[in-house]
Amino acid sequence: MRKPKTDLDYIEIYAEKLKKDNRLFEQHRIFIESQLKASLSLFHNMFSESDFKKEARKYLKERLLIK
Amino acid sequence: MTKKGYTIIGETIIINRELTELDLFLKDFLEILKKYSDYLVVSGFVSISTGRTRGTEDIDVLSLIEKENFRLFFEELDNKGFWCYQGDNSEEAYSYIKRFDSIRFARKNEMFPNIEFIPINKNRKAKYYEFTHPQKIKIKNFEFKIPPIEFEILYKEIILTAKKDIEDARHLRTFFSEILSKEKFKDCEKIIREDFYEKA
Repeated sequence: MRKPKTDLDYIEIYAEKLKKDNRLFEQHRIFIESQLKASLSLFHNMFSESDFKKEARKYLKERLLIK
Repeated sequence: MTKKGYTIIGETIIINRELTELDLFLKDFLEILKKYSDYLVVSGFVSISTGRTRGTEDIDVLSLIEKENFRLFFEELDNKGFWCYQGDNSEEAYSYIKRFDSIRFARKNEMFPNIEFIPINKNRKAKYYEFTHPQKIKIKNFEFKIPPIEFEILYKEIILTAKKDIEDARHLRTFFSEILSKEKFKDCEKIIREDFYEKA
């Protein structure tokens, strides 16, 4: 097997391993959930609960993410 | 015990893994949506749910929904703890849907994860094709519909083409290499290219 060099090579190797061994899904779960927790805590800290929607919409409008 | 990453039972792809918080978020949303409209889960979540390890904050869901059903759907989402980025009532949100603009839903007091709710119609050829040719996929007790894997790969390679899309496509090509069909690739490529050149 040739030596992996690019991101795509590593993606291929990981997908091959995952296809044969579902235990790798545990790492996948940990990664997905830790990223979700990080996003959640960031925005919880940014906006107050009482005015969450108003503050969130202001933030989104300023970044042109909503009209 | 070691198991393969996925197995096929009948026409359904079974992914042999536990549910994540992201799956449960989508499951709650689809349980409501299914009462009012057909749907298709597309794009990044297709790759992520089948093992691609990358971050995401939104899940794209296609829908073909009528106005009255949208009102009921919106109200039930509100009652069950979701909010819409674009507005607090169904009229306001529906003004986006009727222009075929996407809207986003998240759990109340949260921004992420969110659902990008994408309205489609029959004139959107490629999207309508995938919508009407769904592939069933199941993780534990959560079954949902995605595009044919061949369609998803080509759409990422031909239309989306960002680095993450090319990587997602490579993941899908490798993970599902044993079940991909050359014939399906041909059919899907024709639809995608026709739709692309019509729009150009």
